[in-house]
Amino acid sequence: MKNLVIILAGCLAMLTAMPSFAQKSGDKVVCFKSNMHCQDCANTLFEQLRFEKGVKDLKIDHVSNTVKVVYTDKKTDDGKLQKAVEKKGYKAEKISEADYAAILKGTGEKPASNQGGNGHH
Amino acid sequence: MKKILIIPVLILFSILAAAQVSRVVTGKVYANENGSLQPLPGVNIIWENTRQGTTTDSDGAFSISQKNNQHMLKFSFIGYEPQTVHIDGEAPLEIVLKPNLEIEEITVVQKDRGTYLSTISPIQTERIGGAELHKAACCNLAESFETNPSVDVSYSDAVSGAKQIRLLGLDGIYSQLQTENIANFRGLATNFGLTFIPGPWMESILVSKGASSVLNGYESIAGQINVEFKKPDSQEKLHLNAFASADGKTEFNANSNIRLHKDMLTTGVFFHAENLSNRIDHNHDMFLDHPLTTQVHFYNMWKYNNYKGLMLHGGLRFLNDERQGGQVDFRKDMPRNSSSPYGIGIDNRLVEAVFKAGYVFPSQNSAIALLTNAVQQSMDSFYGLHDYEGDETRFYANLIWTQDLDKNGFHTLNSGASFFLNSFDEILNQRLMDRKESVPGIFTEYTLKPSDKLTLMAGIRADFHNMFGTMVTPRMHFRYQPDPRWTFRLSAGKGYRTANVLAENSFLLSNFRELVFEETIQEEAWNYGVNFIQKYNVADRDLTISAEFYRTDFQKQLIVDRETSAQQLIIAPLDGKSYANSWQVDVRYPVVKNLDLLVAWRQNDVKQTISGELVEKPLTSRYKGLVTMNYTTNLKRWMFDYTVQFNGGGRLPLLPDASLNLAGMNEEFPSYTVMNAQVTRYFRYWSIYAGAENLTDYIQHHAVIGHESPFNQGFDATRIWGPVSGRRIYMGLRFTLNYN
Repeated sequence: MKNLVIILAGCLAMLTAMPSFAQKSGDKVVCFKSNMHCQDCANTLFEQLRFEKGVKDLKIDHVSNTVKVVYTDKKTDDGKLQKAVEKKGYKAEKISEADYAAILKGTGEKPASNQGGNGHH
Repeated sequence: MKKILIIPVLILFSILAAAQVSRVVTGKVYANENGSLQPLPGVNIIWENTRQGTTTDSDGAFSISQKNNQHMLKFSFIGYEPQTVHIDGEAPLEIVLKPNLEIEEITVVQKDRGTYLSTISPIQTERIGGAELHKAACCNLAESFETNPSVDVSYSDAVSGAKQIRLLGLDGIYSQLQTENIANFRGLATNFGLTFIPGPWMESILVSKGASSVLNGYESIAGQINVEFKKPDSQEKLHLNAFASADGKTEFNANSNIRLHKDMLTTGVFFHAENLSNRIDHNHDMFLDHPLTTQVHFYNMWKYNNYKGLMLHGGLRFLNDERQGGQVDFRKDMPRNSSSPYGIGIDNRLVEAVFKAGYVFPSQNSAIALLTNAVQQSMDSFYGLHDYEGDETRFYANLIWTQDLDKNGFHTLNSGASFFLNSFDEILNQRLMDRKESVPGIFTEYTLKPSDKLTLMAGIRADFHNMFGTMVTPRMHFRYQPDPRWTFRLSAGKGYRTANVLAENSFLLSNFRELVFEETIQEEAWNYGVNFIQKYNVADRDLTISAEFYRTDFQKQLIVDRETSAQQLIIAPLDGKSYANSWQVDVRYPVVKNLDLLVAWRQNDVKQTISGELVEKPLTSRYKGLVTMNYTTNLKRWMFDYTVQFNGGGRLPLLPDASLNLAGMNEEFPSYTVMNAQVTRYFRYWSIYAGAENLTDYIQHHAVIGHESPFNQGFDATRIWGPVSGRRIYMGLRFTLNYN
């Protein structure tokens, strides 16, 4: 049982020590209007963007065709992120956060099944 | 989801999903603005679960090509209620979208759940996907179930390194092991089959419990485990994996998919090599903790898809596996007598050819599939002074015809014929055993699916065995989903299998007692099951609760009797009752964002009649608890996994004469806990992982009974109920390059 406690404590320590992805000062946000249309395309874009330098958080939605990226502005900029989206063959039209919020507000789509890679048989 | 309406059964799905016929669906989309219809431009249209889509033009018109497996067309536009339409006619469509007034949170790419509990299939199925396969070192299939609540994996004995699975509390032989829907790694490969399937080759594992579809044969009794390999036409261009553990085990895997002609003609090349040559004896009983192993495995797969309905699939496999265990001082070149140290050696060589073909008729409501494989395996082994050799050549063919009986695919009939041929030769010491099986069979299965809420599947098959006569196998499945949150399932069915008396019990040879057995028999059992899955949305996250009960009743079975005689281990046909009850409850919930928790509990009640008395099956845990935690960071750059298994105690076999039982031998083995942990860091092309199996170093003490004198009375390395090897710390690297 002693072992169990040690392991659990270790686990907790690991979890709490993990880098926080919350938005901090110095972080910037950029939003794009894109043309993904499908979940697989959104996954492709997610795969592309998650390893871009400086990216801290991502929201990609194929229903509203929007991309929101939180990043550290020392490591990348809006232009680089835009190129990264375009590199995969999708549009990346920069929009303001207000527009982004408005588009989302307008999208009433129920959360699509989003478990990337899990085919529904 | 309805894309598989035409082929409601998984076996066909894998073959035919990619064999596609095109036609064009046209139509117009309107918006309903306060009662008046206005053409709606820019509407997103997409086949459900695919990436094929289009948008409407300025007049709201669209056209999109339809392939045979595509039935559900999804329309969505910002500010409007999305609509999904089942396409079953030729007429142009008229779609009216209603403005949506609800405001909901945006959907984001979520974490991959790993294990997916299907609520669609009429058969209770768990799909273990790519993410789950990354949660453990996952060197091979045997190690892929560490985070799975339904499948237990345990060591057969303390010397050979053979691992067996248990499903519903029953030994792995009662679950049909398949690779891509063909029963495989059976017969001579039974004991080591799980270690013959490398983790990095697998795309997914499907575990289905209870009676299976009759399409797959008469054999599965407790359930089915189907492994899907990575497909040659998948996105993965190159995958490399290297693994090393602190105790000296190394592994290398490489696979590559090559597109020879677009995505029509593709080939996949798979390579696996593993080695363990460190002699390790942590418990100082002079016996190796792990056998020394060398395995080389090569597989080449070809796939042709003309996208007009025809799909062909062919593959060739070569496997060579050598292992050596026993006492630390044993060397292969030593004379094999009782003055040398005790040793075991098991060499397996296997060649397999697979061919599959699928064709969807242009009418799109019928399809045909052929699945065949041919295997040649030779095995050469010794356990102390026993010599055991075997040769097996088998051929299998299964032809399935799928026919939709009506336009909507509400009624489907799957019928066909199969043929199994097996030539099996074994020699144990001087005793020669051989058998030739030839089993033609016919089957038919009717599926009623009037809506997403209800599926009824009833199948029957007749097989004509040259040794055991005619076998009739009825099986029935029922699924009812009154609400997307609740899924009920019922199943009942019969199963048979030809017991490979020696091949599946060969590990019992590392024992002083004489192995006594007769000719093979046909085992026979009924299996009944109920399953209830509930899905709720709690605090904006999915809570899944699954509860189930399965019962297996054996009419004929081979029973291993370790308790009647002090001089013999007796394998004899069941005389009396034998059954297994299994209750299981799983709860899955992401307790905080990105932290998935699974808590599961299973109660096993497995009883057999051994020497006239109905007793608990020895060496079987009475319960299993499992807690798994997975934390994946927002951008999936880090993944942390932690698993605890609580294994219940159980009955130990004792000798009839109390004086012969060694001092300290108990009637019961204790409950024990095993923990595993792993950390994975993903980069764009690379990932690196490190972890530990059996973290607390729990091992069964005195795993080798009588290890001081292995050639004398009392020696037994088969009384195994727990882990026989301790903590294993490991590290690995993966490199993946994708097309696209």
